[in-house]
Order: sequence, then structure tokens, then C-alpha cells
Amino acid sequence: MERQEIIDGLIEILKTVRTIDPEKLVGVTEETDFLTDLSTPSTELINIAAKVEHKFGIEFDDDDIDHMGSKVKDIVDLIIMVKAREEK
Amino acid sequence: MQVAGRKVAVVGMGGAFPACANLDDFNKKLFSDQSLIREWDLALQYSKQIRSTVSGYISEEEMGLEPVLTELAERYPETYIDKLGRIPDIHLATADMGSIWAMLGAQDATKMAGWSTREIESEQTGVVVGSGGAGNQILRVAWHYFFQLGKKARIAGAHTVDRSMSYREAANISCLLKTKGVCESITSACATGLGNIGHAYRLIKFGLQDRAIAGGVEGTALETFIGFDGMMILSKGFTPEKSSRPFDTQRNGFVCSFGAGIVALEEYEMAKARGANILGVIDDYFNNSDGDGDMFYPSFAGQQRLWKGLMPDKGLRPDVVKMHGTSTPVGDSVELLSVVDALGEEGYHMSAPKSQFGHMLGGAGSVELITALLMLQNQKVLPCLNSDTLNPELEGFQKTDHWQGPDKPLAAYRHLVPQKTFAKEINRIACLNYGFGGTNSAMLVSRDI
Repeated sequence: MERQEIIDGLIEILKTVRTIDPEKLVGVTEETDFLTDLSTPSTELINIAAKVEHKFGIEFDDDDIDHMGSKVKDIVDLIIMVKAREEK
Repeated sequence: MQVAGRKVAVVGMGGAFPACANLDDFNKKLFSDQSLIREWDLALQYSKQIRSTVSGYISEEEMGLEPVLTELAERYPETYIDKLGRIPDIHLATADMGSIWAMLGAQDATKMAGWSTREIESEQTGVVVGSGGAGNQILRVAWHYFFQLGKKARIAGAHTVDRSMSYREAANISCLLKTKGVCESITSACATGLGNIGHAYRLIKFGLQDRAIAGGVEGTALETFIGFDGMMILSKGFTPEKSSRPFDTQRNGFVCSFGAGIVALEEYEMAKARGANILGVIDDYFNNSDGDGDMFYPSFAGQQRLWKGLMPDKGLRPDVVKMHGTSTPVGDSVELLSVVDALGEEGYHMSAPKSQFGHMLGGAGSVELITALLMLQNQKVLPCLNSDTLNPELEGFQKTDHWQGPDKPLAAYRHLVPQKTFAKEINRIACLNYGFGGTNSAMLVSRDI
């Protein structure tokens, strides 16, 4: 799965999070930070992680989420890493 | 301790009321003797599993709300959309249905009060609001996915705690309005609504706060309803509008309903000084326990002590008693006789608003206090609908050796139990509510004259 494809899927998820301003989703890049750029309440990161698991058909370990960064690229890296781990 | 000369005024009210668009609609329907009880479509879907399907319920659509269903859990509202734009999304995310009603009620009550932003956000403004049950609708899903389906705890989302904790309504109101005073909940089963207002009254009366947003809530939840249905204490066998029939010989249980009642309280002289419209003045609040070791059975002695605590010198006689009047067989008769024991056989009337909208559980006491404020405003007594026939025979407990209450049957007090709304001069109303565990609450509220 290409990185842009993952980002597009991520943005679809973010559109369902009503506490994120939809206008801020225009121009999201890998460097976009959920907390500082999108003003995402920290509690919503858990909901986003659960939706990512559902959308991409993967399951994070608890440690994955504990150590997850707050930038888009951090989640993209994590999704790729977990997908690879599960395919082994 | 009470601060001498310090009084408490009610200056605002709001809430969520079954089958009503708003408080004005509620007022209009109540005083035209309408019933707000309906067949509940959701309960009917489970009609083979439950006895009762009537309720004074409130749908999401009726409150201008739209659930956002998550694909992670079936039929689970992840959050709500406020189609009328009253509450920001950030506050909807932390709220269950009842908490949203509480926030809407608080907005309406503080607007009616005319409090400034500075007054609302003051350290002298508290929030005391609670509900009878937990966030049962939220918890059911979280527990089902974890225990039955073996899913990760996070599948139910990050808001299970804030949407189901005991004081979620107070917390959500405080976060929405940015109050800086006391924020807490009193829970006392079906006395919760009046208990929270009583506690808020004391905070002001004792000089700890100048203002308070207070009340009780019970959000629509079949999860809550089935607990009472399982006890086989809900009304059965009548059309919806006939189902709640306090004091009538044919009564066979209460109608489980939902709603929210929020009031704005303010120290009386401060309210007067700024020219506030005083909806009522709280004369006193008293609460106690039966102390007889029984979780459910009403206690005549406990209610006798309640009245002595509320009116120690008998100087503040009410013109109307707003009864708890649930439509349960024993509860109603013990209550009616304890009122007669305290006030005598003449000079007041009994009003049972549950006859019109059922029993709102944790919301009952506060919504019913609002009905009392409306009675003061309209100078009309709300009826005990469906109280067609009062028992012409003595109750079983009246025939026992240890009975020390009135020795006449309920039918002897027909003149105190109106079947229709009627006008009379009302200067003071006593409000009564009781709850499981033998808890009893009473408040006297007067017209400001």
C-alpha cells in the first residue's frame, strides 16, 4: 500500500471526527501534527487509532499506541510497520 | 450553618420534556390536562421480552440531535450532532444523551436568569446536577464488546468514562459554561432531582455560593427501563394516557419516563438588586431516611419525620402539595395519608404531575419542581389525572394494630385530590420526592410577594 493511499484513508477517518475542524484537513501532509496543527483533543487519538485498525484491517499492540507520535507520518509509518509484522 | 437573613431565589429554568418542543409547550400541555405518555417504539421492538411499553420518552430527533453511529460498534452513538448549533462539538463528544439535555437546560436556565458571562464564570457559581442511573446506554456497549466479543477496551472509544460517570451531567455543564465554583452531584435514586436542588439551595443559604445551576436528569435509555420492568413494578394494561394513575384504585405501577429539569438559583437580595424575575423563593429544604431497614417499602413514620423537619413550627403551610405520586399501589396510599396526617383534612390540594408524564427517575424531582414553579406562575393547580376512584375501604396497613395515622379510607379525601387543572390562589407549594433506600426529600417554595 502506497503512503499517499494511507494518508487518503487517514483523512477519510479524520473527516468523521467531529472535534476536528474540516477546513484544517485541506492540505494535510506527512508533517501535519494532530495535536498542534489540527487541534485534535488528545482523547480523540485513541478513537482515531481504533478507526485506523478497522479501516486498514490491522490490530495495534498496546505498545504501538503508547509510543505513537502525533504527526501524520508517525501513523503512516506505524500502519506500514504493523502490516508488515502481521504478514510475516 | 444557615446564614441569618440569606434567602434563595429561583431565577431560571429549563430542561427536556417528553413530547414537548420546549418549556412553553410543556407549560401549555400540562395546564390543558394533556398526557405526555406514549407507546415507545423502541420498547415495542422488544415486546416479547418486557411487560411495559409505555413511557414519557424523548427521542433524539425531538431534541434536535442526530446520533453519529460508529462502524466499530453496532447501533452505538459515537457522538451527536446538534442540528440547531447550540452546543459545540467538543462538548458533545464528552456527553451522553442526558448530559446533552442537562447542558441545553442549563443554557436555557441561565439565559432566563439573565446572568452575565462574568457571573456565570464566577467562583461563586456552582453546578449541582445528577441523575439516578449511570450512563447505561454507553456502558452496555463498552461491556458487550469487551466481555462478550473479546474486543480491545479502546473499541468503545475514549469517552466511556466521561459519558457514563456519576456526575457526568454536572461536569459537562461546568465545562460548557466555564463555571468556577462547586461542581458535584447528589445521587439519591428517585429523590435525586430534588436532592441536587436542595443541596444547591444549602450552598447558597449557608453562604458558600451566590449562584447555582441545579437539577436532575434521566436520559432516555431502554437499558434503564428494563431494570424497572424486570422488577414488575411498571404500569401495565392501560392505554398510554391512562397508564399513570396515582391514587386510583386500579393503579398497578409507575410509568418509566425520561427528562431533565434544570433551575438557576441565586441569593435573593442579589437577584432583587439586579431586577431579576423571581420565579419562586425556596423557604426550606429537608431530607431524611426511613431508618427501618427496608430498601423499597414506604415508611409512614419516615414521612411523618420529614414533615416535622420541613415545617417544625407549622407556620409555613402550603396551599398545594406536589406529591411524589408514582401510581404504585402502596406508595401512593402511604404518601396521601402522611400528607393528611401533617396538614389535616382541609385547606390545601394535592397535585401529582407524574399522572401526566410518568416517573422521570433522577429527573423527577427537578422537573416536578419546575411544575410547582409553573403552578405558582399560573396560579393553577395541576391535577392527579386518572385518579378516577379512591379506595372507599381502609388500606390493609390501616387495619393493623401499630397503625397510628388517619383512620379514614382514601376516598374520604377526594376533595383534596383534583382530577382536572383548576385556578386558585397559590402562595406556597410543598414538593415531595422519595427514593429506593428509604430516602425522603421535601422542599417548600413560595411566590415572591
